[in-house]
Amino acid sequence: MTGKHGAEAEFASPTARAAAAVTGPQPEPKGSPGSRIKRVLRNVLLSLPLIALVIWTLAPFLVTLSVSFKDRAQVFADPSLIPSNPTLDAYTQVLTSDSFTTSFVNSVIVGVGTTLLTIVIGVPAAYAFARFNFRGRHLLLLFTLLPRLVPSLGLMVPIYRLAVAVGALDNRLTLIVVYTGMLLPLAVWLMVGFFQQIPREIEEAANVDGANLLKRLRYIVGPLAAPSMIMIGVLAFREAWNEFTLVLVLTNTPGKRTLPFELYLMQGIEGIANFPGEAAFTLLTVLPFVLVYTRVEKYVVAGLISGSGK
Amino acid sequence: MPRGRRRRWWQRRERKSESANNFVIGQGRATPYLFSLPSIILVAAILGFPVIYGLWQSLYTRESLGAPLEYIGIQNYVDMFQSDAFWHSMNRTAIFVIGSLALGVTLGLFFAFALFRVVGKLRFLRAVTVAPYIISNVAAAVMFRILFNSQFGMINEVLGFFGLDGPSWLADPGMAMVVVIFTQVWTDLPLTILVLLGGLMTVDKSYLDASLVDGATGWTRARFITIPLLAPQILISVVWLSYSTLTGLGVVLALTGGGPLRATQTIAMEMYTVAFRNLEFNQALAIATFILVLNALLTLGYVAIGRRYEYDQ
Repeated sequence: MTGKHGAEAEFASPTARAAAAVTGPQPEPKGSPGSRIKRVLRNVLLSLPLIALVIWTLAPFLVTLSVSFKDRAQVFADPSLIPSNPTLDAYTQVLTSDSFTTSFVNSVIVGVGTTLLTIVIGVPAAYAFARFNFRGRHLLLLFTLLPRLVPSLGLMVPIYRLAVAVGALDNRLTLIVVYTGMLLPLAVWLMVGFFQQIPREIEEAANVDGANLLKRLRYIVGPLAAPSMIMIGVLAFREAWNEFTLVLVLTNTPGKRTLPFELYLMQGIEGIANFPGEAAFTLLTVLPFVLVYTRVEKYVVAGLISGSGK
Repeated sequence: MPRGRRRRWWQRRERKSESANNFVIGQGRATPYLFSLPSIILVAAILGFPVIYGLWQSLYTRESLGAPLEYIGIQNYVDMFQSDAFWHSMNRTAIFVIGSLALGVTLGLFFAFALFRVVGKLRFLRAVTVAPYIISNVAAAVMFRILFNSQFGMINEVLGFFGLDGPSWLADPGMAMVVVIFTQVWTDLPLTILVLLGGLMTVDKSYLDASLVDGATGWTRARFITIPLLAPQILISVVWLSYSTLTGLGVVLALTGGGPLRATQTIAMEMYTVAFRNLEFNQALAIATFILVLNALLTLGYVAIGRRYEYDQ
């Protein structure tokens, strides 16, 4: 307990320093033991909102993790957060089920496909919008507005009807194309910003040295824009991995669904809810992205802010 | 005269574009079109065409599945505005949107203020803040269903610890909406926090110093200085949250499916029900169009707000 308390105080001290930096100098007489206790107390108090933030965000993950290590009876019998005798049954059950393995493969294919197609189609368009003066350039403005004007909810029925009409249901390629079309406005718009930041002079100098457009794209613009392409890729992959509204109507045979759809069905088909199974399925769905996420978190945050905050 | 002016304007434009394109020697005139056309076509096909198709189809009806289409003008819209189910769902949507806004903005401000004091210091906290953003709506729904379970959920365990008898959240028509609001806000909060945090970082320190001289600290300063200065970011959060709740289907569908007793039947759920349970696609397209128009009005408000504050700065 004392150790935890000490850790909290240490955790809080930069907080207090930052607070002091913001609020200006606040005379705190040093030396007397009373004031030190006061300071520690103040630090703990100041870090309470941050602890609340951590609890708010992580509590759903933690209870899910806890339930995933119990069996179906234990969930009800032993509601404590740390399971008394943890079991991996739920995980083996999920990992050996067709519903998980096939939808996992589908999700990977759709995710990677969407990412690649978004970059392959979006990057040249963004370059053209950023560097060339051509008729149609004003479409860029429309691009910035479209995703807000046409949420996926508004596409659900018309896209389903169109897919039925052209026989494109239950097709991973349909999902890839639809997701790419939904993501492109955002991706292009973000990339235009990045390309505009690359100084024209670099390309002009390369041009003088004899590099044509393709060479410049390959050796100059490409490497400079690589971090932003990673960001676009992460955004695209996240969207395809998590999208639920459209995959719900665009697929209806078991072998073609993606992970969110299978997870949704899992809640419905079990007579008595299989909570450990659902929990394990959820975490296994999240896990691959978390592993990637810890490496590219910077890009995700940047994409999140620039993508929706403007 | 206008013709002459027009030609000169064109000539000037040509010259300007030539100079701008000057460095791309050896590149054909077609290059920008080749580069941008795939994107434009795909976006038009996925985001543009279906909306127009839906608008057009919402003017038709079918007597039954497989029957021929029949033009009925705006009858689908008239039916929609006259149906009790529609107004019930609008009522639910209003509660959902306003509840999410109140909770989302309050929590967003609270956490943004908390994070502001450690900004740039604790990378761990930033990663934690953004975590809900990488979760699908369905996964969030599963997690909150476990969290709010009436028999073993953590929420009722904690309430029980304080001697309170927790409600049976998702089975209770009065409480299900609360769980839906919490789940939706949980998934949307990362963005709200980051937008507000970004706003806090642009607040001019001199205002804060001046207020300190005048003796304002803590809550007083937040209430009268910082929060008014954050107005643009708060407005952005409000419009974004209302967009996300108005057009959000995943959380509601996966968490309650509109129940219990249609207590969480939002307009998005209503559209889904009419289309994919009642199979009245043309009727559902009228609802979809209505949602798109409502959403467009919100978006235009958003753009107008953004403009106004851009000018100020």
